[in-house]
Amino acid sequence: MLSKQLLKEALLRALSTGADYAEVFAEHTLSRNINLISGKTDKIGDAVICGVGIRIFKGTRCVSGSASSLADEAILSCASKVADALTGSALIQDIVLKERLFGDIHPVKIVPGSVGNAVKIDFLRRACLAAKEYSGEIAQVSGSYLEADHSILIATSEGLFAQDRQIRSRVAVSAVASKDGENQTGSASPGARKGFELFEELDSEEIGRKAAAQAVTMLHADYIKGGTMPVAIENGFGGVIFHEACGHSLEASCVALGQSQFAGKLGTQIANPKVTAIDDGTIPNAWGSVNIDDEGTPARRNVLIENGILKTYMIDKLNGRRMGMESTGNSRRQSYQYEPTSRMTNTYIAAGEDRDEDIIGSIEYGLYARSMGGGSVNPVTGQFNFAVNEGYIIRNGKICEPVRGASLIGKGSEILMNIDMVGKNVKRAQGMCGASSGSIPTDVGQPLIRVSSIVVGGR
Amino acid sequence: MTYQEFKEAVTGYAGENGLTEYELYYEGGWSNSVEIYREEVKGYSTEESMGVCFRCIVEGKAGYASTENLTETEARSLVLRALENAGSIESEEECFLHKKGDSYAVCQKNDSPQPSGAELVEAALALQKELYQADPRVTDGTQAYMIYASHKYALCNSNGLDLEDEFSMANSYGMALVEEDGERYDGSENKRGRNLRELDLKEIAKAAVEEAVSSIGAGSVPSGKYTVVFSNRAMATLLATYASVFSAELAQKGMSLLNGKEGEKIAADCITITDDPRYRDSMVKRTFDGEGVAAYAKNVVEKGVLSTLLHNLKTAAKAGVKSTGNASKASYSSVVGVSPFTFYIQPAGDTEETAENKKLPKVPEALFRKAGEGIYVTELMGLHAGANAVTGDFSLSAKGFLITEGGKGAPVKNFTVSGNFFELLKNVEVLGNDLEFLQGKFGSPSILVRDIAVAGQDA
Repeated sequence: MLSKQLLKEALLRALSTGADYAEVFAEHTLSRNINLISGKTDKIGDAVICGVGIRIFKGTRCVSGSASSLADEAILSCASKVADALTGSALIQDIVLKERLFGDIHPVKIVPGSVGNAVKIDFLRRACLAAKEYSGEIAQVSGSYLEADHSILIATSEGLFAQDRQIRSRVAVSAVASKDGENQTGSASPGARKGFELFEELDSEEIGRKAAAQAVTMLHADYIKGGTMPVAIENGFGGVIFHEACGHSLEASCVALGQSQFAGKLGTQIANPKVTAIDDGTIPNAWGSVNIDDEGTPARRNVLIENGILKTYMIDKLNGRRMGMESTGNSRRQSYQYEPTSRMTNTYIAAGEDRDEDIIGSIEYGLYARSMGGGSVNPVTGQFNFAVNEGYIIRNGKICEPVRGASLIGKGSEILMNIDMVGKNVKRAQGMCGASSGSIPTDVGQPLIRVSSIVVGGR
Repeated sequence: MTYQEFKEAVTGYAGENGLTEYELYYEGGWSNSVEIYREEVKGYSTEESMGVCFRCIVEGKAGYASTENLTETEARSLVLRALENAGSIESEEECFLHKKGDSYAVCQKNDSPQPSGAELVEAALALQKELYQADPRVTDGTQAYMIYASHKYALCNSNGLDLEDEFSMANSYGMALVEEDGERYDGSENKRGRNLRELDLKEIAKAAVEEAVSSIGAGSVPSGKYTVVFSNRAMATLLATYASVFSAELAQKGMSLLNGKEGEKIAADCITITDDPRYRDSMVKRTFDGEGVAAYAKNVVEKGVLSTLLHNLKTAAKAGVKSTGNASKASYSSVVGVSPFTFYIQPAGDTEETAENKKLPKVPEALFRKAGEGIYVTELMGLHAGANAVTGDFSLSAKGFLITEGGKGAPVKNFTVSGNFFELLKNVEVLGNDLEFLQGKFGSPSILVRDIAVAGQDA
């Protein structure tokens, strides 16, 4: 993408006013999304994103800059502007850039750009058609196909020169079921860090039917009566509870500044002993996986919580300086326009020993949350929330009628203690996670779990 | 190459490929921002961004391609990609380019001098100082941010339209962290101004700290039905979340329950909702929309009656009406959609003329008196997941205060409010006169609604 000579010049220029570390991040991304509605392609977005982000550190202070160009003069000018924010003389006079190859643990078979629109549209249409044909109550189906071919290059004053190409594909189907002036929705949206081969592995009709079934089920459901109760949360996207209740609060971006509910808690019990949680950026071809993070650190498998004990945070280089800790390979950014910071990759609660039937059977009256929507958290207070897209009442240990309109809320540190049963069958699901460094792909996951008591929003 | 050179290159390739209907949309900008932690500059950032989207219309179908890479090769690729994408569109709804003939407002440029980097740092440090001074319980983790940004939009098309809008503004953000009895509480405040002098740092700090301090010791509430006063900001977040229901595009696709409801009563008599791209107090005044149609103010709901949906050229042609000038692009690379610009519920007093209303000072306190007993909701969380625009249902995590004996009582948290946006609009009993905007885009006064379902901590 850029020559070593230019990168070296840009780094030295950025360092010229006394920074002790400099980094150039360059990006060239091709992205495409195809939208289909009422069975017809409606809109196609097709974008080239390219530019550079430069950062320098002096102690724990960071100066950064970015420009939407990969032209030599734009990169050098960005480096000068960044250097201008410090006043001093250069501490580092020479850099030898050594290329490092980290290997590709996420091989891609079919580069999406080599496949024409027609084949992609065909997959999407089959998925949408299956949703439409699922029931006469399905009033509308929309679908989208997404691909990103994201090439990054990182060069630092420590001599690191590394590149990665991250290809991701996803499809999303959303169905609207309608009856008597009332709408309900259902969706399914699998994705992976794979090329077009993903669509040879996925069953298009199953995706469509899943979205439609959820919409129809919810159309015939009554609103849940809110209150405090035990909840069984299904595997897959159910893992969003850990992502919100705990994951964000373990990111160094808020821990380093003392803004996290879990700051200063390493080595202490922050969750029920049944809970072991892992962030693993190395899972082959998983949606949130990377070979290297956006600071050039190889991805790792980090055990965050082991049997309830906090083992580590998720750390990037800059916050690591403040904390006196090494990077854990969790530095991520949406694009060159965002400053990278510590983020999750694929985060999940590990398998436990409880049987699913025992978990459901243990609940006299509660909620079975089968399919979850997104959520959010305030890491300072730990107050989190997420939506239940498909839920059922559990009565006397049996899953009964579906209920709509439920949401789960709580305080992370309390709810983690309430996860008192953990099933055996871990499944992951895909999401987009938004925070200060932009929107990035992350996996959430868990087996079926029981939360002994939580506030369920409803009517 | 420069944008001008790139524009000429694209025009050349468009001609070579026999295109007669095309448009080039440009968005560019720069920003400087400062982040303070403790009493030091933690981060300083300078960003430049730019991107171009080419749109061609072939047999009524729109093809898009966008780029940030202004080179000769890319100019050619852009045209060919857009052409190919137009060929893949199946939707039969015709797309149009706008013609000359609208009369446009004059773009009011910000003539205040731009702050230097040093001035920005100084203001941010001063805000941080005010935050610490506002209350002895303010603790580390408190942060001040100051940003100055400039943005430009340009659109030209083969019908001879050639338009430009630009704006610049200062944006400040104070995030206060307070600690009492080992518990942390946060509060924040954001204000915009044409220059740094317009920002009252003391007021910003006071508001942020007051929000944090006032939530100290917050308890929960038992589940039940309550009279709820939504604060202006809480109601504005709800309006922002449901703004898409007013889009004719979603309505025509059967994704909005307001489809076909023009002329019908959809809200309480006191509700008038306006979209005004040139709102008098707005920092961002637009003269044209995402297709080059002149931007103008319109009431979408007038005294409870839906007067119009929001349209772009395509949805207007389908409905047989004129575009309301609401074609939107979330970023330069986005396909054209529909959304409001500055969208707000008119405060009481602006629309009501009854003697009783004139007597009553409709700040939140007056609504508390009217409520008697209930809950004052000051913040709603997790709207991207817990609120569904297709169904209108919401079930959201909230915080606020009890309303007791007609006044503001103890702080409360960890409860949900649930309902349906369409029903809520109909049930608004009283409006305040305290119109407030979120990020300058969505606004509302405080409102009072009865019988809202609340779920909280039950014994």
